[in-house]
Amino acid sequence: MVPITYYLLLAAALFCMGMFGVLVRRNALVIFMCVELMLNAANLTFVAFARMRGDDLGHVSAFFVIAVAAAEAAIGLAIVIAVFRSRGSVLVEDIRTMKH
Amino acid sequence: MTLVEFFRAAPVAPDILAPSLWLIIALPLLGAFICGVFGKMLGRANVQLIACATVAGAFVLSVLAFWATSSYNPETGRLAAVYPNPFGLERDFVRYALAYDYGTWFSVGDFRVNFGLMVDHLSGILLLIITGVGFLIHLYSTSYMEHDAAYWRFFAYLNLFVAAMLTLVLADNLVLLFVGWEGVGMASYLLIGFWYDDPAKAWAGRKAFVTNRIGDFAFLIATFLLVLLVSAFTQQSNAADFNNAGTTSQHYKAALAQKGPVTFKGLEKMAEGLLDTAADQVDLSTPIQAGPLAGYTFGGVMTAAMLLFLLGAAGKSAQLPLYVWLPDAMAGPTPVSALIHAATMVTAGVYLFSRMSALLVLSPTAMATIAIIGALTSLLAALIAFAQDDIKKVLAYSTVSQLGIMFMGVGMGIFWAAVFHLMTHAFFKACLFLGAGSVMHGNGDETDIKKLGGLRKEMPWTWATFLIATLAITGIVPLSGFFSKDAILHAAHLNKLAGLEWVGGVVYYLGLLIAASTAFYMTRAYLLTFEGPRSKEAKVAHAHESAWQMTLPLVVLAVLSVVAARYAFGINFFDMSAQPVLDNFLSPVFSATKRITEGSSLVVLDTSRPQVFPDYLKAWAVAMAGGGLAFYMYRVFFPARVGQPVPAYARAVRRAAQNKFYVDELYELILIRPVKFMSFLLFRVVDALVIDTVAVRGTAWVTARVGSALRYVQSGDAQAYAAVMAIALLGGVVYALIQVMQ
Repeated sequence: MVPITYYLLLAAALFCMGMFGVLVRRNALVIFMCVELMLNAANLTFVAFARMRGDDLGHVSAFFVIAVAAAEAAIGLAIVIAVFRSRGSVLVEDIRTMKH
Repeated sequence: MTLVEFFRAAPVAPDILAPSLWLIIALPLLGAFICGVFGKMLGRANVQLIACATVAGAFVLSVLAFWATSSYNPETGRLAAVYPNPFGLERDFVRYALAYDYGTWFSVGDFRVNFGLMVDHLSGILLLIITGVGFLIHLYSTSYMEHDAAYWRFFAYLNLFVAAMLTLVLADNLVLLFVGWEGVGMASYLLIGFWYDDPAKAWAGRKAFVTNRIGDFAFLIATFLLVLLVSAFTQQSNAADFNNAGTTSQHYKAALAQKGPVTFKGLEKMAEGLLDTAADQVDLSTPIQAGPLAGYTFGGVMTAAMLLFLLGAAGKSAQLPLYVWLPDAMAGPTPVSALIHAATMVTAGVYLFSRMSALLVLSPTAMATIAIIGALTSLLAALIAFAQDDIKKVLAYSTVSQLGIMFMGVGMGIFWAAVFHLMTHAFFKACLFLGAGSVMHGNGDETDIKKLGGLRKEMPWTWATFLIATLAITGIVPLSGFFSKDAILHAAHLNKLAGLEWVGGVVYYLGLLIAASTAFYMTRAYLLTFEGPRSKEAKVAHAHESAWQMTLPLVVLAVLSVVAARYAFGINFFDMSAQPVLDNFLSPVFSATKRITEGSSLVVLDTSRPQVFPDYLKAWAVAMAGGGLAFYMYRVFFPARVGQPVPAYARAVRRAAQNKFYVDELYELILIRPVKFMSFLLFRVVDALVIDTVAVRGTAWVTARVGSALRYVQSGDAQAYAAVMAIALLGGVVYALIQVMQ
């Protein structure tokens, strides 16, 4: 039995990589993928804790997160495609119109 | 029905008239509104009609109200106009008074002020003077202001003034009186500065207003002191005090809850309650136990309140040190000078002290101060009047001087004589002012008496009435001024203030000096204006007599200033020792005062009558000496010395008097300059630096700087926001780690 610490360290590493990607990458699609990475890091902690506690609550949460992530990815991709059609770019620094 | 019965039964019964008392104020107020708002459209004749008619209507109502105060019910054979004193017991009726309470005006906590109006013999006399003389002055103004473009504004202000003055005398409590007090101040400011396109005249209005404000402030503080005093009295008093005042404590407190602490009747009851007649009672030397005044004695607070009222009255009634506005106020139109500065507004101080006489006699210190202030003011004004060449200025200083005499009367406790002098003064001074206006009108607005002269034949009506009024103010025997002035001087001589017995003597001899001075300067003004040859510097070769609207009021006032003397004698004319009619007439008003002076030994009032020999003879000789000296100087001495050089000391004296003994300059030096300097400092440091620069522009500057700095933060870059969130998260993690480590 692998101790929970390893799972948590792996999840933290995944989360940090995802966050790093969100902060530094300019391509919206890559940012999305990094967000997925962060979500999965969270899922990994859920499942690890569920396993440790021996109940199903963590599994349920993980499923819920996956479902939401799928929905979010669908809408996010639709938005990215719409932005690409109108602007011809998916780089986030080109779409800073919220400022105005 | 005999004549006596006719005069005893008022045409309108008191209980019917009382609820309509407000009409007396409302009529002139309505006139002011109509003239002020629609005046321009109405045209000259209509404005004059409305202005005169409203005051005439108020006069008629005043006559009815005054009549009703002494009304007998012929069937029961009893007075119909008595009303129960709300602060007293069943047996304590206020006789000869008509009152109506229109309910609460405002109340804060247990402090309550009612809109209550009251006509008794004192306010009744004032009512008749204000509306009667006021009407004559309105009539006079229709001719005097004939050529003025802003006639409608003028009449609106005049009506407003009358309404405010009526509020002042009809009020049954101090706060409502203060409304009228402020109202006349405002109307007076408007009227003095009526010709506002002339800066000097606008300045005069402002000076009057500012000077009055100082007094009004003192008045307000005094009122608050009285309110505190009443509450302290109700807390500390016991049943014995209320026995003294002719009431019970429940009754007094119920009336207080219903009428408020500032009604004159309630204050009178408190004054009676403060009398010292037995042990373990609240009296003047009892310290106040609780409240903001704790530690002070009742008597001390009363003296302080009365002295503050004196300052308030000094502002309105032009006494030292606040008299300086009145002579300058002559810048306004002449009818205004006659109405405000002779007959009504300036006597408000005398009225106030007569109204509050019951409180005043509790404080000999305040009374002595009032008497001395009055005497000094009177003397100073008389000396200044010696050298004034402007006819209206002479009359203005004469008014200040006569008001001083009234204050002497009030201060020495001879209230009825002060009111009597107020009344006769209203008649003859209004007559003199209107006469002066008539002289100016007929001589191309010339006011310098050195450039007039010889008007006797050219303006016979003006001359005759002016002469009568001059004789009246001078104090020549059969005229009213003699008797009213002598009544004051006589009683001032004999009344005693506890611990301050010397005051009566000082005031008396100053009074004689003032009487001689009055005779001198009035005779001088009269001689230079009407007698002798016409001056070579006159503006017009021949003066013309004024229209009937101007001469009729003069004649009426001249007649009144003669016949008013009747009130100085007893009911039986030839009985020299009898109580004077007016004294008898006003005795119900001053009954509480009388009980207090008899119950305490603070003030000993003397009721003896002046005798022909030596009192009247002495006063008459003094007046004749002053007048005779003026006659000799200006008819014999100076005309014989024309062309000869004037000695240097005479020039110096004259210059000093002409410049009003440099009092205005003194004020400029010791008050106005420092205040202006202070204001300049406050303006530069507090206003311009602290408020404008630091507070107002400073906050704007800081906000703008902070805004422009924060602008860089709001980039719209989602990743930058996410970075901030990540750093915050990191901070949270580090914090959590530190906590865990520990």
